[in-house]
Amino acid sequence: MTPLVEMSDIHLAFGGIKAVDGASLDLHEGEVVGLLGHNGAGKSTLIKVLSGAYRADSGDIRVRGEPAHIHSPRDARRYGIETIYQTLALADNLDAAANIFLGRELLTAWGTLDDAAMEAATRQVMGRLNPHFRRFKEPVRALSGGQRQSVAIARAIHFDARILIMDEPTAALGPAETRQVGELVKQLKAQGIGIFLISHDIHDVFDLADRISVMKNGRLVGTARVADITKDEALGMIILGKCPPGAIPGPGAMN
Amino acid sequence: MTRRILARYGTALAGVGLFAIFAVTSPVFLTPDNIALILKETAFLGILAIGFTLALVTAEIDLSVAEVASLAAVVTGALVHGGTDPWIAIAAGLAVGTLCGAANGVAVTVLNVPSLIATLGVAAIAKGLSFMLTQGVAFVGRWPASFTGLARGTLLGVPNLIWWLAGIGFAAWLLVKWTRLGAHLVATGEADEAARLAGIRTRSMKRLALTLAGACAGLTAVLLASSLSSAAPAMANDHFLYAIAAVLLGMSMFEPGRPNIPGTLFAAFTLKVLGNGLVLLGAEYYWQDIILGTIILLSVALSATGTGKAPFVKKLNVRR
Repeated sequence: MTPLVEMSDIHLAFGGIKAVDGASLDLHEGEVVGLLGHNGAGKSTLIKVLSGAYRADSGDIRVRGEPAHIHSPRDARRYGIETIYQTLALADNLDAAANIFLGRELLTAWGTLDDAAMEAATRQVMGRLNPHFRRFKEPVRALSGGQRQSVAIARAIHFDARILIMDEPTAALGPAETRQVGELVKQLKAQGIGIFLISHDIHDVFDLADRISVMKNGRLVGTARVADITKDEALGMIILGKCPPGAIPGPGAMN
Repeated sequence: MTRRILARYGTALAGVGLFAIFAVTSPVFLTPDNIALILKETAFLGILAIGFTLALVTAEIDLSVAEVASLAAVVTGALVHGGTDPWIAIAAGLAVGTLCGAANGVAVTVLNVPSLIATLGVAAIAKGLSFMLTQGVAFVGRWPASFTGLARGTLLGVPNLIWWLAGIGFAAWLLVKWTRLGAHLVATGEADEAARLAGIRTRSMKRLALTLAGACAGLTAVLLASSLSSAAPAMANDHFLYAIAAVLLGMSMFEPGRPNIPGTLFAAFTLKVLGNGLVLLGAEYYWQDIILGTIILLSVALSATGTGKAPFVKKLNVRR
């Protein structure tokens, strides 16, 4: 089966620093791939190439087998790629509806902003994610971490994302809210959406992901099915760059 | 609830109070002629301040509006004075303003010069150019009525200047509040990075806003020249501090913490009421400047601490 996304041999340097050095990843429909590594291992940078926030120096991206030209977040969205960023990337002083429709505002027949339609759609999509949510009129700055996360996720799923990138989706959340996000990931996966899950919480990733890819120093240590390796082996990949027998080694694997 | 109303409308109510005080204390203040005079004065200030507001909506500060307006007025005046068709002169004035605004935009978004510095630079250049064009002398003359009528005429009994202010004010309000473009301008100012990641072309938005600020300065210039039948370097400079004060004071009302068109317009009117009333009550001119400065300081203090959410205040403190 053709993968939903293939990123091959991606290189990206900032000044002299090779943030991503020849990394390759793939993702299938209805699959969750966890991207693991220390801070500064290059996982966020690599994924930002896919979301259009950074442009790779070289390398290839294919979506459903077709070469994809992603030069901006706008381009990425055209391929059905939506990103939920680590810093949430919400506009703090705007309300939930304005944030969900940021950059894709609904218009009336007159060409003016359709605030009513946007609010109605917001109520609907937020109702699916977080039925207790009521604070539609308030700036998102006033919301809790979990509520803000729901807004960020609502923004992605409302526009029928096929490929979802979640960058540390639970970093700012408490345990109950983290479970909620976990449920949501399973729900989205069941709908055939492919998800890249970036995290340094190995337990989270083992709970939710089908496969993991591990990065270290900008290079890919290896990729493995979660079923084929243990958490300790995964930790060995992250910390030492040591690739266990159950994993497919990448260019960053220690010999 | 009361607190909320006070935060939204407090300073606007103060303006209404001021109006009432002058109406009671001065026999002349509330006459139709005087009110029309205040409104006409508000037109120049209001249109200039709307430009400043649009730039500030994207969190960029345009310190060049007054010098740019002076340059545009001088260009328009030189052409009218030389006998060029008034419409060409008007177009030239608008074009000069717009081009200066675009220059600000390019300096900020392409050359990455912070707007505070970029617009100071453009202001200095505009000032130099206007002295170069005039050699320091004002253009004054009996200009054709087709030009002076632009500002001095009336339509349906209402002075044209008031129509201009109403038209530009309405258009700007429509743009910011009801269009997609406006939503993108606001998002750019409120959360630059979030807007960019959401696919909004934030640099284009800033460029556009600064260009529109220049266009508003150009229009103010044309109306000033038309109204005064003269053009001289630095002629719009008196409006500079007023424009800044209007925008900042406007940010304390209707949508606290955010530059907004109704606030700017109401604040511009209030400031002109203040100036007019002080003169009628026999206060010396310098009091206007002192009060203006106090208003500027207090309104920013209000935006910075009271609501703690004016993005441009943060931006002035730290940049990257």
